[in-house]
Formats: sequence, structure tokens, C-alpha cells
Amino acid sequence: MGDSTTASRPGKGTVFVRSEICKGCSFCVDFCPTDCLSFSTEFNPKGYHFPVLSAPEACTGCDLCGLYCPDFAIYGERWKDIDERKAKGRPQPVPEPAAPAPVKPAWGTLVPTDPRGVLTGLHFMDGDHATCEGAIAAGCRFAAGYPITPSTEVVERFAARIPVVGGLFIQMEDELASSIAVQGAAWGGKKTLSVTSGPGFSLMMEHIGLAAVTETPGVWVNVQRGGPSTGLPTLPGQADMMQAKWGSHGDYEIIALVPNSPQECFDLMIKAFNLSEVYRCPVMFMMDEVVGHMVERVEIPPAERIQVVPRRLTTKPKGEYLPFATTSEDLVPEMTVAGAGHRIHVTGLTHDERGYPAMNAAAQDKMVTRLVRKIRDHADALVDVREHYLDDAEIVVVSYGITSRIAKSAVDDARARGLRVGHLRLRIVWPFPAARIRALCQHAKAFLVPELNMGQVVLEIERVVAGQAKVIGIPHAGGSVHEPDAILKKIIEATQ
Amino acid sequence: MTTPNTAENLFRDIDTVNPVMPYLRQDRIPHIWCPGCGIGTTVNCFTRALTESGMDLDQIVVVSGIGCTGRVAGYLNLDSFHTTHGRAIPFATGLKLANPKLKVVVYSGDGDLAAIGGNHLVHAARRNMDLMVICVNNFTYGMTGGQVAPTTPLGARLSTMPYGNYDPPFNLPFLADACGAAYVARWTVFHVRQLAKSMLEGLRKKGFVFIEALSPCPTLYLRRNKRGEGVDELKYYKQNSIIKHGADTKEVGLTFDGKIVVGKFIDRERPTWLNAMNEHLTQQLGGKYTPYGG
Ligand SMILES: Cc1ncc(C[n+]2csc(CCOP(=O)(O)OP(=O)(O)O)c2C)c(N)n1
Ligand code: SF4
Ligand code: SF4
Ligand code: SF4
Ligand SMILES: [Mg+2]
Repeated sequence: MGDSTTASRPGKGTVFVRSEICKGCSFCVDFCPTDCLSFSTEFNPKGYHFPVLSAPEACTGCDLCGLYCPDFAIYGERWKDIDERKAKGRPQPVPEPAAPAPVKPAWGTLVPTDPRGVLTGLHFMDGDHATCEGAIAAGCRFAAGYPITPSTEVVERFAARIPVVGGLFIQMEDELASSIAVQGAAWGGKKTLSVTSGPGFSLMMEHIGLAAVTETPGVWVNVQRGGPSTGLPTLPGQADMMQAKWGSHGDYEIIALVPNSPQECFDLMIKAFNLSEVYRCPVMFMMDEVVGHMVERVEIPPAERIQVVPRRLTTKPKGEYLPFATTSEDLVPEMTVAGAGHRIHVTGLTHDERGYPAMNAAAQDKMVTRLVRKIRDHADALVDVREHYLDDAEIVVVSYGITSRIAKSAVDDARARGLRVGHLRLRIVWPFPAARIRALCQHAKAFLVPELNMGQVVLEIERVVAGQAKVIGIPHAGGSVHEPDAILKKIIEATQ
Repeated sequence: MTTPNTAENLFRDIDTVNPVMPYLRQDRIPHIWCPGCGIGTTVNCFTRALTESGMDLDQIVVVSGIGCTGRVAGYLNLDSFHTTHGRAIPFATGLKLANPKLKVVVYSGDGDLAAIGGNHLVHAARRNMDLMVICVNNFTYGMTGGQVAPTTPLGARLSTMPYGNYDPPFNLPFLADACGAAYVARWTVFHVRQLAKSMLEGLRKKGFVFIEALSPCPTLYLRRNKRGEGVDELKYYKQNSIIKHGADTKEVGLTFDGKIVVGKFIDRERPTWLNAMNEHLTQQLGGKYTPYGG
């Protein structure tokens, strides 16, 4: 059909059929206003009868058939339009604008942050507020949250501060919404923050998985409180450490930072944003109620001394960019934003380099392997610990967050008593600094692990130490913090 | 100056004149939808609306949730996001607010938007978030095998309502209207021209647009309810629809085999969330505030 010789033009228009993709639904045949279609007696390769123009004299080329066809297998056109189209000929391709000179991707370098909103100077503020300031200083211009103690102050401050900085806060209807609104905003080009605690962190888990699989950068703050469930809204816990790593279904890797002071809330927040840009993965900021609410001195440096990582935006021309393609040296793909003309598709389904769903074991293996390797292969680069007295330590106390402050004082105390004890404080817990812990096994007889949970990070230490030293947890169900003496007592026991 | 990526420029190739083709990721066709499923028909209407709109297609983004309808995002050759079940609207909200110059369209199923995503739907309508939501209502969860949905008419049989449905359904236009949507329309996939026109109006409207498109799911809903094939359901739509623009949305609830009121029900002016924010903060903060534009 579609013959353009005048002899075969009994009607005003005609139809074009891609018979091979027709599914024989009869929409076109039944709803052609002039009844000029009927079904072929032949079958197409899928076994369907397809439409034929059986009364060509009646076809007006109205394209109602095309509008109905759910399989995009037929369309109609008026001869007049066909002739016009053909007379115009194949139009000259519209010249694409000259490809911009290849520029060195900006993401390879650190740049000083946008000075707007950087509150340079000395402050006394709590950890929640310092977290907010860190985010703004890191270039975060979009936050979404839902109120929950003890994290609310972070977004309250953001809501107050961001209008004059040139950004936006939206209080969403729940944490499911806020944890995905930030991802929409990330694909709109923003650096984003979502903030929660306790039950809200559980609700956010679905979208941690989405961010991991779509490689959407962003920072998620969890000011940990006692759990499970509603638990202890106003009191501290550290029992979400495993949830931060494993909480969404499926295999993926995240990065988790744990500050232990308001100053660190500020400093590590900058780092958290930078890491999420470098690795394009969700970065968890695992505070706790005490760190969130303690007021201390916070020094905010001048903006030019705050170095941030710009997004890895592709410089590839339209049509050449594959949103999830990587090289063997660099496991992190270049990103783009919606509206840049690349016509990207981004899905939570297992996908290929184009971003298209690819539901098979080979695609799954390729994608998941890369998602975990892009973090695991960089575990050494991601080590961030603070060490005290480890050179000769026989006993190593490993801790993080608020617990590290108590553990440190217990270790100082033990040292004063002449005990060979050291302290390892984790500022990045995930990925786990396994190599550093293994190295300590050369001297260490025992690792002590106080944490505000019934034994979480201690399990990772047991796994890494693998029987080369004793690993002793010092659990605490949360609601308060450890007594320094309780840790000291365990240290003394371990030396005996 | 870059070439505006309007439909006109896409029709450069004289061999691909099927007006829907330039909008599809050709390498993904044929699609997964069953014979006689109406989702593809709604896609035709959407693409005709895009053509009519003359908009720069690079600035149009489609966001879907999960379901048979949710697959629309993956077939359209636009920036497209296939998110999680029920959460297309909050994703779209974040995207729109991050870059208000984009036209963000949410394209998803009734279960996705009204069940698991119901909370987001009502809040986005309340906020008058500048989004166009196309809800393909096939009265069931197609993707998971035909379970009862919050749109299923009373009496219909579904795999999880084997003795007939007693779970009262939403009247979606009423819900969207009551929550403050700026534009509410309902059509069926029989009403292709009207549906395309509503979609065009929706693309041009500022504020929360909700367009319900009733659509056959022959494989599950129709078969289980002995309603014939897709084409039979379109005939049913044709015979039983009453066009009533401006109808009181309270009155447009659907039943298993009753009349279907279709039309443009609501078209009102309300400040969008972003305009309200900018206006309010300008008032409150004066010169300190630069209106947010992305
Ligand atoms: C959190 C979650 N729960 C359940 C599902 C399973 N699921 C996938 S699609 C779907 C229903 C889709 O129904 P609808 O939105 O009406 O789309 P349709 O398939 O009918 O077009 C469900 C329940 C899921 N993907 N995610
Ligand atoms: S173009 Fe119009 S008249 Fe011709 S077959 Fe299609 S629907 Fe019928
Ligand atoms: S409407 Fe399309 S799929 Fe259905 S019979 Fe006609 S050509 Fe085939
Ligand atoms: S199951 Fe139903 S909704 Fe899904 S593609 Fe098939 S007919 Fe369409
Ligand atoms: Mg459905």
C-alpha cells in the first residue's frame, strides 16, 4: 500500500501498515469512520491477521486508525500531504551545532564552593545545625524531608536559610516522597539532601536502592535514635548501622560517614557531598541524637577554602552519550541532567549501558558487579579513621560517632594506667576499612567494640579479624551512652 | 543557537511519517503490551498532543511508576524516568522544582497513582504542583496479574476478589478535584481525539493536571469479567459514554456496567506551588529574596 502512482489513488488518502508488528486487535478495522479496512486472510509472523485497505476509494487518510492503533502498526495519510511531503524531498538534515571543543571534564578537579550561604566564622551550634551548614557550604541547593525527632532541626534550619541562598526546601508528605523527590531534583541538576531518623529511615530504604541502581548522587542524613520502630524518639542509638548498608533489598554498596562532633558534622558533610559526586552512590550521614543536639564550637572556613566536586556531566554530543557506560579504568558513568537533549532513560529495573531494561542474568551480573565494585575497589581510598596510641597497642578499641568520645576518654584513662591500649575511630564505616583492621592484628590481642546497639559493626570486625585476635563487643541498647568506666573495665579485663 | 527539537524537525525523514514514530525509542518496538491493550492508544494521543504543542521536546520529561502503564516512559524517546511503584509524582515534583523550565509529565497506572501512590497524588494536587498526570485506568493491576485496585468497580471479579469486588472504588476525578487540581478530565481510549486535545490543554496548563484515560485490559480485567476483547470494551465505551464538560465530579463515579461520564470537568486558575512560594517569600523577605527559578 501507499503506492503513489495516480492510477492507484481511488480515495483521498491511504494507509501504511507495518504488518509484522500488528497484534490483530481490530481497533483500526472497527473504528475507521469509513469502514474501509478489513482483515487479511494471511497471518503475520506472530500469527495475527493484519488490516488491509479493502475499500481504498473510501479512505480519507484521516489517520484515525493511526490514532487508535495501540501497536503503532498502521497510520493513514492524505495523498495531498503525501505529495507535499515527497515534493519537499528529504529535507536537508538540520546542522547540529558545532561540537564544543573537548573540555577537560570539570569533575576531575576540585573547585572552591559557591560562596553564597557559607557562614564563614566561628559559631556555637549543635550538630543538626552544623550538618545543615555543611550541606549548604557543599553546594546543596535542594532538600526534602519530613519532620522527625531528632533530625528535624536540620531541615528547619535549611528551610530558614535556603531562600536567601538560592535554593529550595520542600516538606513532603512522608519519607517515601522526600527520599525520591531529592532524586528527581538530582536529575534536575541539584546537589540534594534528605534528612530523617528512626522510622523515617526505614521508609527511605526503598529509594536508597533506587539511588544505588540509578547511580543518583545525594546525601541522606540519619540522626539515629533508639529503635526498633518508634523506639526512643528523643534519645540516642547507633542501631541503624547495618540498615545503612543493607537496608534496601538487593546487592549494592553505599558510603556511610559518622561524625562525632558538630565540627565534624560540618566538615564531613562537605566530604559526604563530594563522595556522592565522585562515586554516584547514596551517601549516608550517620549521626546520632547526642551529636545532633550537642552544642560546640564550629569553625566554618572561608568559601575559597571549601573544595567541592562538581557533577560529572558528560561533554559527549547528543546521540553519543550512553548514560550507564563506563570504562575499565573508571567504573562510574558520566551523568547528565534532564533537559540536556540526551533523551535518557533511567529505570530501577536492571538495565544496560543505554539505560534500557535488560532482564537477564548477564545484564544483572554486569550491572550489579559494577555497582559494588565501584565502591569496593576503592575501599582503600575511602578509609577515613582517626588513630590514637595504635603503634604498640595490644588492645584496640574501635568506635564511631558519639561512642567514640567516651571510648577515647576510657582509652586515655587506661593509657594513664600504663595499659597498651589504642583507639581507632571510624569516620567512614562503609565501606569498612578492613585492610587497616587486619594490619592492626599484628600487635593486637583483642579488639573492643563499644556501640549503641546490640552488636553490629563488631560483626564486621569479627569477620575481618577472622580469629587472629579476640573481638569483644560492648553492646548498649541505646537511650543513653556508655559509661566510660564500663569501657575501661572491659579494657582492663581484656588485658588480663 | 541549537536546533529546536520540535516535532517538525523530527519529521525530517520522509520514510518515518507515522506521526508516533519519532517519539518512540524505535529499538524498543514492538512493545510488551498485550493485543488490544489500550495503553498504546493513549501514547498515540500523547504524541499528537506533543506535536500540536510545538514544545521543545528536549524540555519535556516523562516520569512513570511501575506497572504496564509504567512502561510508557521506557518507550518514549524523551528524557524519561521509570521510578518505583507509586512514587512517580514525588520524583516528578523534585525534578520540576529543580528545573522549573521543564514540562514534567507523570504517566502511570491507576494502581500506581491511586493505591500505593495515593498519598502523593492528593498532596501534589493540593499543592497545585505544576505537573501533568496521565492516569491510565484499566480498573486493575495489570502488571501483577489482575488484582483488585482502588478503582475496580463494585462487583467486578479480580484474582484477589474472586467472588466479586466489595471494596468501594475511588472516583478519581472527584478526588483530584477535591484536592485542588487545576485541570481534571476523563476520556476513554475510544475518545482518541478528545483525549489528545485534553493532553494538549494539559501540556499548556500551569498547575496540577489530572487526566484519567479509561483503557481496556483484555488479558485480565476483561477476560475475567467476560467482557470480550479490547475492541469490545471500546465499543462499550462508545455506547455508554456521556460527554459532559464541567460535570460535577461528585457525580462521575463509575460502575461495572453503567454509564461513563467523560469530558473536561475542571479548568481553574490557582497559583502553582512554586509561584506561591516565590510570591510569599518576596513579600516576607523583600529585597533579600531573589525569586527561585531553578
Ligand atoms: C513496592 C511494590 N509493591 C508491589 C509491586 C508490584 N507491582 C508492580 S506493578 C503493580 C500494579 C500496577 O497496577 P497499575 O498501576 O494499575 O498499572 P497497570 O499494570 O494496570 O498499567 C504492582 C502491585 C512493586 N513493583 N513494588
Ligand atoms: S486513514 Fe481514516 S479512512 Fe483511511 S483507513 Fe485509516 S481511519 Fe479509515
Ligand atoms: S489497530 Fe493496529 S494492532 Fe490493531 S489490528 Fe489495526 S494495525 Fe493491527
Ligand atoms: S496485562 Fe492488561 S494492562 Fe497489561 S499489557 Fe496486558 S492488557 Fe495491557
Ligand atoms: Mg491498572
